[in-house]
Order: sequence, then C-alpha cells, then structure tokens
Amino acid sequence: MEEHKNIIIAVFSTEAGCGKTVTAINLAAGLAKEGYSVCLVDLDLQFGDVMGYLDMVSGVNLEDAHEAMQRHPDKFRVEDYLVEYSRGGISFAVLPPPAEIQDAYLIDVATTEAIIRELADFNFIILDTTAVFSALNLAMLDMATVICYLGVMDFLPAVKNYKVGYDTLIRFQYEESKISLIENRSDSEKFIRSRDVERLLGEKFYHRLPNDYPAVAKSIRLGQPLMFSSPLSPLTQSYWQLVGRYTNRYIPPKQPKAEKEPAPQLPFSWLMGIGSDWQLAGKA
Amino acid sequence: MHYRVVLVEHDPGMLSTLAGVIRAEPTFDLAATYSDPQAALGQSGVLRPNLFLIDVDDWANLELLPKFVSQFAKGQVLGLMERWNADKAEAVLAAGARGSILKPFQPHDVLDALSLYERRGHNLSARTVAFFSPKGRSGSTTTAAVLAIELAKKSGEAVALIDADLQFGDLAMFFDVVPTHNVVEATHDVRLLTPATLEPYFHEIGNGLWLLAGPNRPEHAELVEAQRLIDVVRMAGSLFRYVIIDLPAGFNPISLALAEFADTDILITMLNSGQEVYHMKRSIKLFNTWETYGKKIYSLFSRVNPCTPEQQRKIEAEFGREVTGILPNERRMTAIAGSGRLMQDLSDKMPLVSSIGSLAADMVAARR
Repeated sequence: MEEHKNIIIAVFSTEAGCGKTVTAINLAAGLAKEGYSVCLVDLDLQFGDVMGYLDMVSGVNLEDAHEAMQRHPDKFRVEDYLVEYSRGGISFAVLPPPAEIQDAYLIDVATTEAIIRELADFNFIILDTTAVFSALNLAMLDMATVICYLGVMDFLPAVKNYKVGYDTLIRFQYEESKISLIENRSDSEKFIRSRDVERLLGEKFYHRLPNDYPAVAKSIRLGQPLMFSSPLSPLTQSYWQLVGRYTNRYIPPKQPKAEKEPAPQLPFSWLMGIGSDWQLAGKA
Repeated sequence: MHYRVVLVEHDPGMLSTLAGVIRAEPTFDLAATYSDPQAALGQSGVLRPNLFLIDVDDWANLELLPKFVSQFAKGQVLGLMERWNADKAEAVLAAGARGSILKPFQPHDVLDALSLYERRGHNLSARTVAFFSPKGRSGSTTTAAVLAIELAKKSGEAVALIDADLQFGDLAMFFDVVPTHNVVEATHDVRLLTPATLEPYFHEIGNGLWLLAGPNRPEHAELVEAQRLIDVVRMAGSLFRYVIIDLPAGFNPISLALAEFADTDILITMLNSGQEVYHMKRSIKLFNTWETYGKKIYSLFSRVNPCTPEQQRKIEAEFGREVTGILPNERRMTAIAGSGRLMQDLSDKMPLVSSIGSLAADMVAARR
C-alpha cells in the first residue's frame, strides 16, 4: 500500500444533484474494501449529506477540528475529529461537516487546507465538494491528486455547465491528466448522446456510471454504500470498476456499454430547437 | 400625445432651465411653473394639466405626491431628481406616481421615461421575488421562469427575470436567447445609470418578459458585489412591476443579501433523497427572523409524487410549518427547458404550470 499514500480525490461538479455525495461514499467504501485506509471529508459545509446518506451521527465535526487547529496547531490531532463508518468488514473514516449552517462561515480556507494535510497518513482522502467555483473548492482542487469531475448529460443546460466548468478548470491551469471526466446516469433515457458531449468537450469520458435510481434510493434509505444495499446493481459494479481504475487494480477491457441501442433517439437538431415540436418526445 | 405640463421646482435657476426645455418642444405645452408644491396643488386644477414634473429631491414634496396623484387622476406624475436615489424613486412609485427621471432633462428623456413607465404597468411599487434553494437541483430556475411567464400573462404588466446564479445560470438557455449584456455589466455600470439607460441591459424575451442574463464565465461572478446587484434590482423596479431573481444555491453573500432585500422569498427544494425537508428546516430558521418584520416567505416543494393534499400534510408535519405549495413533476419540462422553448411550449393544462399559475394569480390579485 506504500505506493498509495495521501492520494486526494476531489469529487466535483458544476451542477447540483448529479451524484457527488453518492459517488464520494461509494469510492470511499470501494477503496476501503480493497484494503486501503480511507478518509471521506464532507466539504458541503452548509448542507452536507454524507452523514445522512450513511445514517450516522457525530459529536465532532470539521468546525471543532477547525477551532482546535486554529487554537493549538501544534497539539492538533486530526483523529479526534473523525468518525468511523464500519459495516461488513470494511471501515473508513469520515470528517463530518459543521452541524449548523452559520458555522460554515467560520471555516476558512487555509485552516481547512491544514486539516486536509493532517490526513496525509491515509492512503486515500475523498473530498465531497459543492457545485460551485468557491475559494474553498478551488483550494481543494489544487490539493487534489485527481479531480473526479462528475456530470449528468440529460439536459442541455447541464451539458453547458459541464463544458463551461471543464473549460474553466483548463483555464485555471489544472492539468487535463488530473481531471477524470465521469458521466453519471449515462444510460438513462435521454436525448443527448455521450458521443456528442465528448465531441463538445474535445475529450473522452474516463468512466461512465449507469443509472440505477432505485438502488441509490435504497442505499440512502438504508444508510449503506451500494455494495451492501444493492451488491448486484450495475451501478455498484461500475463504482467497483472506477475504484479499480484509481487503484490500478486492472485496466478494464473496454468502456461499459453507455447507451441502449436502439434507444428512441430524436435528431440532435431537434434538441437545438430546430424542426419538429416537443410533443414528439412523448410519442418517441 | 400632447402634454400640458405643470412644473414644480424649488431652485429658480433649474426651474427656468427646465421651463425652457419644455417650451422648446412642440409635444409639450407648459401650463404653469411653481416653486411651491402646495400652490401647484391648489391652482393647477383650472389649467387642465395632464403631466406633472415635480422635484422630489425635497422629501416634503414627496409627501405631497399622493395628493397630486389622487387630485389629478387622469394626469401623470413624474418625480425629478438631480442624482438617482433608489429610496426616493421607490417612494415616488409608492405614492402612485409613474416614476422618476433625472434633471435637467431633454424632451426625449421625458418621453422615453413616459413610454417605459407606461409599459411597466400599474403605478404601484415593484414586487421583488427571490428564489432561494438550499442545495440546488431544486427546480428553482424552472419555477422562477414559469412564475415570470405567468405573472406577465396574468397581470399584463412588465416582468423582469434576473439570473443571479452567477456561475452557472441557465435562464438564457431556457428561453433560447443570446443576450448582448449581462448582470455583471449591469452591476458594474449601475451607479452611472438611470432606468432608461439600464433598460437596454435587459433582453426582451417577449410577452411582457425581460431577462438580465448571467455572465458567460463562472469567474466573472466574483466581479459582482451584492450591494450593486441590489442597486440593479431596485432600479429595475422602476422599469418592471415584478422583478424575479434566481439566486445561487445555499447561503453565500449574494444569495443572503438579495434574499434579505426582496419583499418575497420563495424557498424551494425538490424532493429527492429524503434529506431535503431537513435542509429546508435548517434554512428556514434564518428566514423566520425576516418574516417577523413583514417579508413574505413562501415554501415550495417540487417534484412531489403523488402531488396530493395528504402528501402536503405529510411534508408539513415533517417540515414543522405550513407549506405554501407542492409542485408536481412535469416530465416534458426537461425537454422544453432544455430546448429553450419555455415561452412557446408551456400549456396551462400541465399540472405544474397551473400550480405555478395559481401562485402568480394570487400575487397579481394582491395588487402590490
């Protein structure tokens, strides 16, 4: 495990609700299953869902760590602020977000960076961020080894925001090799083809996660990562493959089949508002 | 249209300048000039004026405006100010006058303002509505856009949509328009503008709806100061009867300042993972304190399935307070908004549209 130390994976997106938290949790669980020590940090400081999705409560959180770090940086022990998620023989650490919304304002970027640096003994550190280019998120993306840039391509404005976000990352001089483009819900019924998105981005997706809404809903309801709540779901398998790619467990022979063929497809021109009217969508 | 003008101005130099401008323009007929508004109020009746230009730099004159409005119901009243002052401009509207212009003016300034203010609608204060969502993916942009369309349709007045989701605003795409100006430019320039010069920053979508779009690049969001954005919203209130603001998700300096400023806040969230009611509960605490001093707080839950009164009661029980409305899912909305056909393809028969439409009808009926 020596070759995997202090690897920071920042799960980022430019559109809310595209599966960042679910992805962060399942990456953490998968990496833990592979035997790595993992810490999952919830950096949605106002409305973090990691604790809710894992059905956990905690007496300590990032705000406590932040205060301690500011008061006595020399005596700071990050372990005091982590809680353990453990189930079915795997476990990983979680650094919960502040308990109250107003506490989020107390968190400054430099101290958070210092806290993340204290996590260096973990093999993997997973950062669950928010869908905005904020000072905190940019600092976290700077620290990250890998930016797991997630998007759902089911809606033209969402594709626009994915493209704008990617262009912005490149403009901010993040190396392309550091950004892994991940399409979520890649096989859900949609009018936009991944191939067209790839053409727009000028870059291939690194990985595609299939859609399995019931499995995700069940996972959240039970407060368990997908490997426990829905071990046979294709999404669970896909997360396992993604984990494998990050740990170099194996190189998958080819991309998972991304699109149902022949799915009812309308021409791309329709999407751009040219030609036939929307009612076709219902009939198709 | 021919205007018989009564001019009220306390400064003699300014009064003669303005009187000269009005005399020189054939559209105008100068009925009388006054330095004392009380005298104007007492004597103007016999002159049959239909346009009053009243200096409002003096708060005492402002207090008399409602009397001019009620006494000369067929006439129009414009406030005159030396520098744009949002407080005074709002007081002028609240008094029932048409709006305000800067002095000294040229004849076309008066005519432009009259036509812009007529387009605006009733001589009532603007209603500012801010859409706030805790986490994003809440349906707030869709609901804001549909509410704007419905308000314009039901009131026949001018409605502005301001995309304050400064990094990833989607409103321009929803309407398939490519605006030439955006909110960053407007906030940058606002201290140099008047309603008439702010107006071109808004893109006319049609059917009584205008859009101030978000910037093209996320990093431009940094250039927007909350106070200046509030200045834009306040000045927009002189041009539009309803100003709808789509805020970025979560509490940040922009969303907080604008939500605090708006007279109506709509908290909206989409029911999805089950955590959303909890997040709404945490968010509303802050809004509660504002509600105590008169702000209207509406709470909406979108994509509620089944969208029934029982379901609303269940949500209310969990939320711990009354819910203003629940909105059903509309599967076609993704296709409609995604293809920029929001203005063309919405139908009153869609349950989502009729739910938002009834909210708009309530707002219009409130006549404020």
